[in-house]
Parts: sequence; C-alpha cells; structure tokens
Amino acid sequence: MRLRLRELAVDFRGPDGSRLPALGPISFEVVTEEFVCVVGPSGCGKSTLIRALAGLQPPSSGQALCEGEVIDRPMQPFAIMFQDANLMPWRTVLDNIALPLEIAGISRAERYETVLNLLPQLHLERFALAYPAELSGGMSQRVALGRVIVQNPRVWLLDEPFGALDALTREKLSLELLRLRQRNVQTVIMVTHDISEAVLLADRVIVMSRRPGRLVADVRVDLPRPRLPDMIFDDKFLQLAKRVRADIESLGA
Amino acid sequence: MGKTAIRDHEPELWAHIGAWLRRLSPILAVGCLLLLWQFISERELISHILVPPPSAVYLAFVEALGDGRLPKHALVTLEEMLYGLLMGVGIGLAVGYAIAKLPLLEYILAPIIVGFQSTPIVAYAPLLVIWFGSGPTSKVVTTAVIVFFPSLVNTIVGIRGVSPNLRDMMRSLKAGRWQMFRHLEAPSALPVILAGLKTSTTLAVIGAVVGEFVSQGSGLGYLVTSARNLYDTPLVIVAVLTMTSISLSLYGLVSLVEWRFLVWQRRSNL
Amino acid sequence: MLNLARIFVLAVLSLAMPAFAQQEAQDERILLTFIPNVQFAPFYVGIEGGHFADAGFNVALDHLQEPEVLDLVAVGQAKFGIVSGEQVILARARDRDVVYVFEWFQQYPVGLVYDSSRDLSELDSLRGMAIGIPGRFGASYSGLTTLLGSAGLSEADVDVREIGFNAPEVFCLGVIDAAIVYVNNEPLQIQNLASAGECGDLSEVDVITVSSQVDLVSNGLIVSRAQLEAQPAEVARLVDGLAKALRVVIDNPAAAYLASLKHVDGLPADDALLDALQRASAAQTEFLSTKPGRAGVARARRQLAADLAEQFDQSSLAQLNVLLDSIELWDAEVLGYSDLASWQAMRDTLSTMGLLDAGDADLQDAFTNRFIAGHAE
Repeated sequence: MRLRLRELAVDFRGPDGSRLPALGPISFEVVTEEFVCVVGPSGCGKSTLIRALAGLQPPSSGQALCEGEVIDRPMQPFAIMFQDANLMPWRTVLDNIALPLEIAGISRAERYETVLNLLPQLHLERFALAYPAELSGGMSQRVALGRVIVQNPRVWLLDEPFGALDALTREKLSLELLRLRQRNVQTVIMVTHDISEAVLLADRVIVMSRRPGRLVADVRVDLPRPRLPDMIFDDKFLQLAKRVRADIESLGA
Repeated sequence: MGKTAIRDHEPELWAHIGAWLRRLSPILAVGCLLLLWQFISERELISHILVPPPSAVYLAFVEALGDGRLPKHALVTLEEMLYGLLMGVGIGLAVGYAIAKLPLLEYILAPIIVGFQSTPIVAYAPLLVIWFGSGPTSKVVTTAVIVFFPSLVNTIVGIRGVSPNLRDMMRSLKAGRWQMFRHLEAPSALPVILAGLKTSTTLAVIGAVVGEFVSQGSGLGYLVTSARNLYDTPLVIVAVLTMTSISLSLYGLVSLVEWRFLVWQRRSNL
Repeated sequence: MLNLARIFVLAVLSLAMPAFAQQEAQDERILLTFIPNVQFAPFYVGIEGGHFADAGFNVALDHLQEPEVLDLVAVGQAKFGIVSGEQVILARARDRDVVYVFEWFQQYPVGLVYDSSRDLSELDSLRGMAIGIPGRFGASYSGLTTLLGSAGLSEADVDVREIGFNAPEVFCLGVIDAAIVYVNNEPLQIQNLASAGECGDLSEVDVITVSSQVDLVSNGLIVSRAQLEAQPAEVARLVDGLAKALRVVIDNPAAAYLASLKHVDGLPADDALLDALQRASAAQTEFLSTKPGRAGVARARRQLAADLAEQFDQSSLAQLNVLLDSIELWDAEVLGYSDLASWQAMRDTLSTMGLLDAGDADLQDAFTNRFIAGHAE
C-alpha cells in the first residue's frame, strides 16, 4: 500500500474560535511494506498525523492518499493501535480481539476460531477468558495488537503503542511486533518518542518539528533485517541514532 | 513453640469471626430494632394505640393474608409500580439518550425537567388524578413521573461517560450507528443505568402509593388509609411493611441483574 | 426595715404572679380536621371574642386528619379534638376510650347533590345512577350508605365512583349523575360553576340531605375518658366557652366572618365587603338586644344573605355563604346535645357497611350530655 501525504495540515479551534495549527503542512510518501517511524517533540502533532491517516481526523488543508484515493473516513486496509490499549472492560480478551470481526459481521464460531488461533502468537492463550482489568499493561497492549492483527490490515497505524510500558516490556513487545509483522509483511507507520526504538524497528525515521509539526529530517535506516536486540550496540545503529537525536536537538529542545 | 503457633492462629480466627459479624451485622441491626419495638410495647412506654406490639402486627398480617386483602392490594400496587417503571424508565432512557447525543436538547429541556423534578410529587399528584382519572392510569403516571428522573440522569451520565478513545476505536473499525450503540454505548452505560434503575425501583413505590392516597380504591396506599380510618394501626403497619418488602424485592431483583450482567465489574474489583 | 418589707412584698407578688397567670389562661390545643376554613368560625370567635379566655383557656388550633385527631386525644397528647361521631364509634371498638361531650353539628353535613331537572322526589329513583364519592371511607361513605338504606337500596343498586375531593370538577364533566358532598360547601361551588356556564348543560342543582332522612350523630368535641374523670371541671369550662362562641356565630354571622379573617387565608374581604359586614355586625348586635328569639335571628340571617347578594357578586360572598349554610346545620334550641337515637342510627349504618360488629358498640359510654346546660345527668 502506497501512502502519500500532500501538504497535509490540521488546525484545531481554540475555545475563543481562534485557529490553532496542530500539524503541517507536511508531505512525504511511504512505499508498500515499508516500516516508518515518526519521532518528534511531544505535542508536535504526531498523533494527529496518525489520526488523519486513520480517517478519524479530517485535514484542514492538503490530503492524505492511499493508492491514489483520498482518505476522508476510516478505510478498509488500515488498522490503528493507540497508546492506551482501549479495551472494552466488559469484554473478555477473546471478545475484545474478536470485536472487529463481530462488527464485520463474521459468525461467532468463525471469529472465535480465528482469535483462538491467534492467541498463542500473542502469548495470551491462557487469558482468553480474562477481563482487561485482570491483565498487566503489557498484556493489554498485546490484546490491542491482536485486535489490529485480526483485521488483517494492509497498513498498521501505531500511535505510541508501547509508550505507557516500562522499558523491558517495551523492548520485548517491540521485537514481538517485528516477529508478528514478518509473518505477513505490512506497511507500518508508528509514532514513538523513543529514538532507539525507532531506529531498531524502522526502515525510515521521519523527524518532525515542534508544533505545528513539519518534516525536518527523513533518515533511511539501512540496518539488515531481521533486527535483533543486540544491534543497538552496533556502530551503525549508534550513528543513526545519534543523527536522529541531532536532528531533534537542532529544533532546540 | 506451641504458644507461638496458637498466637499465630489467633488473629486469623478473630479475622474470621470479624468477617462473619460484618456479614451478619445488617440482620443484627434489624433484630435489635425488633427487640426495641417489643420492649417498648411490652412495657407500654408508648401507648399501644400509637405503637401496637409486634404480636398484634403479626396477627393483622396473618389475617389480612388469610382473607386475601393483603395479596390483592399488594398486587394492585405492584402492578402500578411495574407499569410505571416500564413507562418512566423507558421514556427516561429514550429522552436521556437523545439529550446525551444532542446537547442543544438538554439546553432546551433542562428547565422543564429540573422543574418537574424539584417539585414534590405529592403537590401535583392530585392534578395527575384529575387529568388521568381515578383509575390505575393516574397511579402509573405518578410512578412514571417519579422514576423518570433518575433513569434520565443516569442515562445521560452513562452515555456521556463513554470513553472518547473507545469511540475512536469503534469508528476506526467502521462501526455503524447501531453497532456503536449495541457494542459500545449500551454496555458502557449499563452499570450507571442499572444504578439509576435501583434508585427508580425504590422511588416507584412512593409514586404508586402517593397516587393511591389521592384517589382511593385499591392498593396498599388505600389499605393504609382504610385501616387508619378503622383505627386498625397494626394493619397500617402491615401495609407499610409490605410496601417496604415490595420495594426491597425489586431492588434485589435489579441487584441480581447487575450481578449477572456485570461479571466484569466484580472481577475488576478483586 | 421599710425597704426590706417592700422587697418581701415584691418577692411574694412575683412568685404569685405566674400562678395567677396560669389560672387565667391555661394553654390548650384543640385539634380540628381539614384546613383552616370559615366553617371553623366558632373556634375563631371563641379565640377572638375571648370566650375561651373567659373559660380560662389560651387556645391554639391544629388541623389533622380525623384518625390522628382521635388517637392524639385518646393517648392524651391533646385534651380536646373535633371529630365526627362515627369516628368515635369506630375508634371505641378499637380500644380508644374517648367520650363525645358536645355535638357541634346538629345535622349530619352530608348530602346528595344532583341536577334539579332530575326528579328525585322518590329516593328509589337513585337506582342505577352513577354517584360520585370521595372514597369508601369517612362521613361521605356513611352518608351514602344511610341514604341508600333509607331508600331501601344497597350499594349494589347504584354505580359508586370514587372521585376524591373533586366533586365540582367531576360533576361538571358529566361523568356522574350525582355526588355525595358536604352540603354546606360543594353544592354552592357547583351552583356557582353552573351559573357561570362552566358546568355543561347544568343550570341548577338540588340537594337531598342525609339529615332529612335519618338523624345521624355528626361532628362534635371529644375528650379522653381519663381526662373526663380527672378534670371534669376543665371539660365543663371548655364546653361552656365553645357553646357561647357557637351561639355568637349563629346569632351574628357577619361578626363571625370578621373574626375568621385573621385565621383563614384567602377569605374574600375587600374594603366594601368589610365595611358592609362591619355595619351588618353592628346592626345585628343592636337587633339582638331586642331578644328576637331563634326564629327572628334565622330570618335576620336570611335577610343578611339577601342584602349582601344585591351588593356583591357570588365569588366574594362564596365563603360567607358557606358559613351561613353551615350555621343551618349547627343551630338548635339547645346547643351541644346529642341523643342516643342518632348514635344508634350511626351504629346501624356502620354495621351495614361492614365496619362494625353489631354488638360491638357501647353507645352509652360513647357520649355524655352532662356538660350541656340544663341536661346535667
């Protein structure tokens, strides 16, 4: 799936009716099966960018296109994952992951079968009937990831999916994310504030300016795949990470 | 060594007894109240004319049960309550949902609704009787009016309380309006709405009985008045306690529904 | 020395004063029913005219439901109350030992109001009619039962509709053929609605009073037996005060209306009416000094009603007319006297209604005329 952002900009309205520019204008392209990480200072409009791509936030000017089609509503090939797991507390793990299938009108037997096959990959097979309140933060995010995978999307939109987790869990989940993606390679756009995470996961790292976020740097990460956790000690990795850090710091942290 | 073992055991035993006492304490409180009542009437600290002894109330209960008066009037009141609840809660849900969705509607309706709510029902119950007749309709309407508000407010609170993030998530799943309601809004608002329903059930008996006081004929409110007019204070108490029981039973029923449907909340609180 | 003597005298006086004060005005509540209303004029006159004070009481009035009035008197929380005779019989059957010591209403105040174009000269014509009643309780229900009984009918022969205290509205909606009402109040209201054209085709109403058929014991003063036995003199004083006040109301309704103004909210009283009533009251006082006798006084009352009707519209006279109609129910040669037959009739009615087992009532103990002037037993 090719994605194109053309001078995409989003403004919010202040309480007094004034215009508050939140994002852009920003332009870049993402080619099929590319893994792009977006980094930038907090409040720079990264989440707004993801929401615009997901069709949840109409742009004030410019366009986001998917295979040449303007994104003006949630579109079929996209699935989004939020910083918060956003699970329904009244649904079990099984039913939370099956939710997209239920909304798509798939029969109960079929959707349970699909989800039950998926659970082992997420290491959740023992928690099928648990409720979200009984899960740790990491497990909740796995459920949320499962809810993305079950939609079988062509594009994953990840909005700081592991931002609320502790460092160890985050690293573990990041690598699981890569592993899960490898089974059926997808286009991924992921927002993160963690430079190491971005360099380790992505094919390209896009650095955004302070609010309203514009493109400052577009860094190609030519580390070999599969990526492994000890790569973070490679010179190449460190060079790239340094470069991204420098780009961010040039904004005047 | 042995001593230590016993000492280790003791706190646990006490904790156990404490837990049981805690569980039994509401029953003990009711028991104490009954004992106090028995004591007062036995010593005749207050005249039997004002506070008849429990035994007299029990006899009145048995008699009214035996000759069918109590079940007859209780059924009338119960029926009025149920229809009133159905009507009031139904309208409360519908209007509450509409208001939650359209803030403008709240702006328009707020003075009327708050005005109705802040006016004591007894004050305008006679009007309801003139408008809706002295039959069961006026009592059903009185009940509906009184149970409407908690149902309305809790529906608004429940629907407004739906997480905006979950709404976004549902939108990203391309959920339609009905699916949004069925899979997100309804289950999310259910705990608050059930809490409102609990309040409504306890109020329902007030509505029905106020209506029965205003226009006589049948029902527990009528039984109170007619017993009072025959100076049968034990029967008055029987009728009042029957109202309490009906109210508590409905409350219990809603709690049961809550228990059944909100498994996740119970598990979450563990 | 002189100073000391003076202090001593003052001290004795100051000790004695409260005792005197207590003797002069003993605080007592009289429990009434309904709400403050011109129908309670005898009590307002008793207070304003000093009749209760003369009898040694500083009276306060409270309004409660009849059963509450009766119970509070029965347990001694209040010494005096006004209830209807049937309540006395019913309550006595349930261990409330109260005694009826003064019959205020000589005539039972309940009657049947109906469209006067209907022929009810034979009570049997009631058969099949839809009759409205506040509810199956109290004086209205007893009244209906008695009326039907005296016509040889029973409740099954008519269509009884419970309408609450809404007789004027419901009657004017035309859903009932007749209504059981308080004869000194609702017929007038209905007549006023009809005259104003707000009552459908109805132009005029008539009333059949229960008292025209059967003499039933009605509203009167009760005390507890304990009180009666412990303080008979106190009871006698209050009965005396009430009787005097009642006679003043009967003799001079204009004065009674004026005395009620302070106690009843919303009594019509514009300046013109006040002026007319004050003049009527003064003229009546003069007239009474000629010892005109009961019939003469009754004529004077009718004259008062006629005179005022020429000067004022119906709405400003409505409450005065209620008072005048009520007086007709109160007036008697001897005030306060009740006779056994009216108690027996009431007991029979209550038995017919299934509220009482026939052998239940010890009517001899339910009332006494010993405080009625000229009837000491």
